Amino acid sequence: MTSLKRSFVAQAEEASGAPLLSSKVFLRSGRGRCTKVVRELYLRQDIPCSSKLCQACTYNAPTDANGKIRPFILSETPAGNKVFPNGHYLIPDTNIFLNCMDALEHKSAFYDVIVLQTVLEEVRNRSLPLYNRLRSLTKSEDKRFYVFHNDFRRETYITRNEGETINDRNDRAVRKACTWYQAHLVSSLEGSKRQVPDIVMVSDDKENLRLANEEGIKCCNIRDYINGLENPDELLDRISSSTDKTDAAATAFYAEYYSQSKITTGLKAGLLHQGPFSTSPYNFLEGSVITSSFDKPLIIQGRRNINRAVQGDIVVVEVLPKEQWKLPSARIVEEDALTKNDNPELGQAEQIETESERLALVEEARRTHNSTDENKLVPTAKVVGIVRRNWRQYVGHIDPSSVAAGRGRSQQSVFLIAMDKRIPKIRIKTRQAESLLGQRIVVTIDSWEKTSRFPSGHFVRALGELESKEAETEALLLEWDVQYRPFPQSVLDCLPKEGHEWRVPEKDSPLWKGRKDLRDLMVCSIDPPGCTDIDDALHARPLPNGNYQVGVHIADVSHFVKPGNAMDLEAASRGTTVYLVDKRIDMLPMLLGTDLCSLKPYVERFAFSVLWEMTPDAEIVSAEFTKSAIKSVEAFSYEQAQLRIDDINNQDDLTKSMRTLLDFSKKLKKRRMDAGALNLASPEVKVHTDSETSDPVDVETKQLRETNSLVEEFMLLANITVARKIYEAFPQTAMLRRHGAPPATNFEELQSQLRVRKNMDLRVESSKALADSLDTCVDPKEPFFNTLIRIMATRCMLSAEYFAAGAFAYPEFRHYGLASEIYTHFTSPIRRYADVIAHRQLAAAIEYEPVHDSLNSKSKLEGVCQNINVRHRNAQFAGRASVEYYVGQALKGKVTEQEGFVMRLMSNGFVVFVARFGIEGLIRTSDLDQPEPDATYDDTNYVLTIHDKKKPFQVALFDKVRVTVEMIKEERTGKRKIQLKLVR
Amino acid sequence: MSRYELLSPEGLRIDGRRWNDLRRVFAQMATQPSSNGSSYFEMGNTKVICTIQGPGEPTSRSKTIHDRCSISVDLNYAPFSGIDRKRRGRGDKRTVEMQTSLENTFAQAIRTTLLARSEIIISLHILSQDGSVLAACINATTLALIDAGIPLTDYLVACTSGSSSSYSTQNDEDADPLLDVNSLEENDLPCLTVATLGATDKVVLLLMENKVNVEKLEEMLAVGIDGCKTMRRILDTTVRKHGKELLEKREQLR
Ligand SMILES: [Zn+2]
Repeated sequence: MTSLKRSFVAQAEEASGAPLLSSKVFLRSGRGRCTKVVRELYLRQDIPCSSKLCQACTYNAPTDANGKIRPFILSETPAGNKVFPNGHYLIPDTNIFLNCMDALEHKSAFYDVIVLQTVLEEVRNRSLPLYNRLRSLTKSEDKRFYVFHNDFRRETYITRNEGETINDRNDRAVRKACTWYQAHLVSSLEGSKRQVPDIVMVSDDKENLRLANEEGIKCCNIRDYINGLENPDELLDRISSSTDKTDAAATAFYAEYYSQSKITTGLKAGLLHQGPFSTSPYNFLEGSVITSSFDKPLIIQGRRNINRAVQGDIVVVEVLPKEQWKLPSARIVEEDALTKNDNPELGQAEQIETESERLALVEEARRTHNSTDENKLVPTAKVVGIVRRNWRQYVGHIDPSSVAAGRGRSQQSVFLIAMDKRIPKIRIKTRQAESLLGQRIVVTIDSWEKTSRFPSGHFVRALGELESKEAETEALLLEWDVQYRPFPQSVLDCLPKEGHEWRVPEKDSPLWKGRKDLRDLMVCSIDPPGCTDIDDALHARPLPNGNYQVGVHIADVSHFVKPGNAMDLEAASRGTTVYLVDKRIDMLPMLLGTDLCSLKPYVERFAFSVLWEMTPDAEIVSAEFTKSAIKSVEAFSYEQAQLRIDDINNQDDLTKSMRTLLDFSKKLKKRRMDAGALNLASPEVKVHTDSETSDPVDVETKQLRETNSLVEEFMLLANITVARKIYEAFPQTAMLRRHGAPPATNFEELQSQLRVRKNMDLRVESSKALADSLDTCVDPKEPFFNTLIRIMATRCMLSAEYFAAGAFAYPEFRHYGLASEIYTHFTSPIRRYADVIAHRQLAAAIEYEPVHDSLNSKSKLEGVCQNINVRHRNAQFAGRASVEYYVGQALKGKVTEQEGFVMRLMSNGFVVFVARFGIEGLIRTSDLDQPEPDATYDDTNYVLTIHDKKKPFQVALFDKVRVTVEMIKEERTGKRKIQLKLVR
Repeated sequence: MSRYELLSPEGLRIDGRRWNDLRRVFAQMATQPSSNGSSYFEMGNTKVICTIQGPGEPTSRSKTIHDRCSISVDLNYAPFSGIDRKRRGRGDKRTVEMQTSLENTFAQAIRTTLLARSEIIISLHILSQDGSVLAACINATTLALIDAGIPLTDYLVACTSGSSSSYSTQNDEDADPLLDVNSLEENDLPCLTVATLGATDKVVLLLMENKVNVEKLEEMLAVGIDGCKTMRRILDTTVRKHGKELLEKREQLR
């Protein structure tokens, strides 16, 4: 695509004050067509410098639609440093923001910064996450970052010269703005006694600095600037390593990526393929890429082929010739074990694949060679380009063996071992290596040069001591990108003024308009014990015509959370409440979540009710939706509710109503199961904590009662009923949830395993077939076997997702797991944002309130869906990680013997699932004996034969084994992990 | 997130305007001597030529109305007016729709009863489109009608406004209504076109094709009507300037 640009400046007719007009004409030709884009630019003089010292700008500052003037930001007395002792305002160029954001965000320095529009736009084009961070800096009140629109101000606007590159033009624009600012400040402070602040440009571009010096602009590079500050070490550590000069002479370990044009043409011609890269959890030298052109993931083996791709990156791959196709790896290869001797300092004779890594690969090749089954071969590929890096901040700890002791405060390179084992070691440079040992720290990756075996990054901050509860909790929240900071004041300001004193108003209040009074109904709630954020309550009562009225009442969150206010935006960005073992990170402030919205017993609360008329056979006659007020008569735990229902002595109305509900729920469930809904299992364990210290004392598997499914059935029914209604009202923008049918290939492995090992047949052509055949996968001697198969089947499936109705055709709406045509989330608005949207849409659909703009914008809703899908997934992972951590803590210092099942075999080890703790762990052949016994893996029969010298034995898939479970700390890396040992 | 930031948190729009800035207006009258009346009108990069034929004998029977004149609008887009070069056929649905709304709007401004049994043909050529095309057409037509000496009750002026609320990532209360939208804004935001008769608040045309909250509509309307008032001043200046020039020319001829 070529772009031709012409620009001219024309004088506006009216002379004074009116903006100048400049229009740019772009001629673009692409795809054989020529398009013309004309963009106008109005150059103005009323863009303030925003210095509190400036009189001239306050005089003609512009107002917004409400007549408000934006407050001026830059301080009257900016700070100086050793290099520029006068107080000054900083103007950094683009690269400073791209490379040093972590330093700029630091509390100790970098105040009164002017962000030029030219720079801001460049940052936006280069990296959206960094742009967002920069934007939030400009919003922060104490950092005093001001965005100056230099390209819109008449005096600072420049046009690109003939033959000038865009970068040169932008650099010139930055210098022009510096010059103007300085002159502007001098002239506006003329005659006053106040000190004129200096304007200091910060850049790492030598040419730019040279020209700036020539033009008389004060400037320096970022390192010199930081060295003039109070705490240079800490700040220097936070600067991206990519500002270091790399040694051009160093040999390249990795192949150069293909050029952009080669990639584009390759993708178009179908020679190259694009997709997200993920690293195998068992073998760090193997990754896979899911592409649209192959129904199975492409396998990428070895560092050379992985070519610097990191978990989550979107990569471009080239498929290798058929002779090099392999079997998917069946070996455990762990990075720690193989790379323990690597030196973190660059430049020494590094090899891309060390001897031990090569051995691991050879082993793999040998296996492929011996394998007779051609059909099992999987296409392999190599990475030839990166479309988008998905690098984020990583939490981990410094590999103690990479720290050279006694180096004091001199800078050294060390390795960071990330908590996420799919992330390679990261090389960071630090002056504080020794004080960071034994700490949980956060780092980011800056670059991965082809001359370096490992990616390089920089230190961001320390969370605290390893294994301390605070640091570990924060670490896992950071790892899963959970926003856990307290709610800002602007959010708390949106809460009702009455606070905890808020009451359902008298009947004459306007709030009762369109709201039904259901306070006399026998409504009760059933939740897990200790639940304080009660989303839902239920009732059932007989009607005169012999039918029943059944009601699901959901907390009326949308009454309190109005669209578009600060609280709504915060909730939208959090997306969900995150439940950890000992902590809950709320989506909404406590006052709402656990009090005003929560359908607590004995108090009146606003609710959003779904009321059905049902026949005694639980057939739905009609459904009605209404805003309401209820008064719950009791809050039960699942167990209490069960006991009350089971006790035949109880014949009161409430118990009768609960029995009706239970009876109906069974009928509903049966109907759902008949339609092919899946009953899937995920290992759920509960950690008992000591109530005072919240230290874990025991672990138990969660028990499910009939009352669990009572509540669940009615919630599903409410969700489906609401989904239909809002889809009718908002065919384009209804907030729905779908669960795609998994491709049959996902189940191939599991099907073959069941056939070979257990002679069982898993049918997957529909969810109904799968549900039925899962029911037949029963081992009469082993009740847990069925659960194990369900866990494994669940892993073959896709994950459910939120979407705006317009994004898919109706048949694609289907929820595979629930076997429902359409589905949404409506029943937990306190803890899920999707439900809040569904509430608003339902309220608009029943004409309770007018439709808010945000509900009509499809693009906005799609943005919301994208965010909550990610948040939802992350919340689940964070919750699981928390359980894992606490299970680990509970096991600390104990060795217990447990029953386990073999759920995966590899050529040098196997994975055992321990049902009691819901954990799975790896047992390597090398753990069995020293020296490591030989093993043969028969991958057609799924049997691993271990040639132990004393007594050879076999381990087969789905075997029940006894293992000891123990929490150990790896001395070398400082990693704590659960270790399983086979009991023979 | 969209590729552009239509309204920066600092309150500047993509082309450097603030929320209540009109784009540059350039207007000329009597640009085509061969017609009864004509004008050339620019709003930013939206450029329109208007010519008037009539009032005259109706071109067909159906155009003859016994107590007033009939108005026909003929609108066409130059193939080079948009981003892509493309030709629009006569029967293009949107074009027909615009013609009808123009006809209905001007029927309210022209003193049609004074010109019974005649026809006025308004031809509009859109040379360049960058948002607010309908508004530009209305303003151009008003000037051309004045040039043709057709009796009007007052200036018929039009303007557009958009709402940044559904787009803005900030608080709803901070979102300003935007006056005079360009094509980028028009594509992404809910927008309305409003036309008023003179400096009164009498709205003769209100056209909006997006869904928007009622409260936002009020704001948008208020901003649009303010814009119309400014637009009337600009048209009035143009007409007076043109009149003055005509008088001077006549003076010289004498
Ligand atoms: Zn100033």
